[in-house]
Amino acid sequence: MERLFLIFLAAFLINNILLIRFIGLCPFFGVSSRFETSIGMSMAVIFVMTLSSMVCWGVWNFLLNPLGVGDFLYIPAFILVIASLVQFVEMVIRKVSPALFKAMGIYLPLITTNCAVLAAATESVKPGFWKLSLEYNYSLGEALVYTIGIALGFSMVIIMFAAMRERIEIAPIPRSFKGFPIAFIAAGLSSLAFLGFKGLFGI
Amino acid sequence: MKRSVWRDFTIGIIEENPLFSLVIGLCAALAVSSKVENAIFMGVAASFVLVSSNILISVIRKIVPSQIRIPVFIVVIASFVTIVDLSMKAFFPAGYEALGVWVPLIVVNCIILGRAEAFASKNGIIRSIADGLGKGFGYTLALLIIAVIRELGGTGQIVAFENTIVSLKGFQPPQILQSFPGAFFTFGILMGLLRKIQGKGE
Repeated sequence: MERLFLIFLAAFLINNILLIRFIGLCPFFGVSSRFETSIGMSMAVIFVMTLSSMVCWGVWNFLLNPLGVGDFLYIPAFILVIASLVQFVEMVIRKVSPALFKAMGIYLPLITTNCAVLAAATESVKPGFWKLSLEYNYSLGEALVYTIGIALGFSMVIIMFAAMRERIEIAPIPRSFKGFPIAFIAAGLSSLAFLGFKGLFGI
Repeated sequence: MKRSVWRDFTIGIIEENPLFSLVIGLCAALAVSSKVENAIFMGVAASFVLVSSNILISVIRKIVPSQIRIPVFIVVIASFVTIVDLSMKAFFPAGYEALGVWVPLIVVNCIILGRAEAFASKNGIIRSIADGLGKGFGYTLALLIIAVIRELGGTGQIVAFENTIVSLKGFQPPQILQSFPGAFFTFGILMGLLRKIQGKGE
């Protein structure tokens, strides 16, 4: 139980995927200019990320690793899993709830190229990418907790940041710094704040 | 009117620089730019994948049905990334170790899929090579600039391939440039300055 909590906390706060590890920045800067779009994006990411990590965990543990081809097939295998999953989710949502499909719009297909999803999938099975002081080789439950932590961390930061950017929009800033440059500087300040979590509970 | 091949190459360097103008492919750029050496590794690796996938996609562009083009492109890119991944592990273990998760993540680098979709799937081989080289060069150049600022400013010296290239004596380096927030600051300020110079601000 304690290990699960630490895994969650490390993924959610201490090694926050956006502000501390720089993974998934393109959608972060792309969709965070408005509050509603950022919520749509984070819902879609939570859903796809959790599902794809679970499937990739299965693919790695029951298919790639036993066959001994894991090391050189994991990139194509995982990205295929993610791409087909996104496609599948898109079809299901379109059938089941057209309203939700409309609301999600472009964000669903965009998730295929979101590095955060691939990173979460890779990290829940392949050891040693990010040096946590917790050892890897997660069991299914731990991988699930880890992925949910990452996805929630992503959502929290992207929503918080969208709220901030709506305010920055109307602030007086030099003309050439409007838009992206000031967003980067704001992200730097938020990242500085998140550095403060380092070492929490000895992680 | 068709652009010349030379123009396809040069447009990627400043006007359509992937990092500063198109604002794509950021994640890897910010993460690896704390050391010049890593920036070079990353730039070369990404350019290699970019050029080779542009070539292959441009070759097969007429036989791929448009409904499944994205999965096909992704598989092409993933194969080249695997080549880079395994070659780096074999020949440059230190670089591989330093780049970590970023080597497999080249596969989802938006620059590569973006160029495959926007350029290589519509143009011939020669022009696709020019486009890939130009974008790859622009990407590497931008990475190098950020890396030089961050490493020189953050540690007071540049160490690449086991040689000290530049070292500043008696300079108290602000550590922040080496850390995570420093990457955001450097990038944001550089981008703002570039826009100022180009005379555009939105």
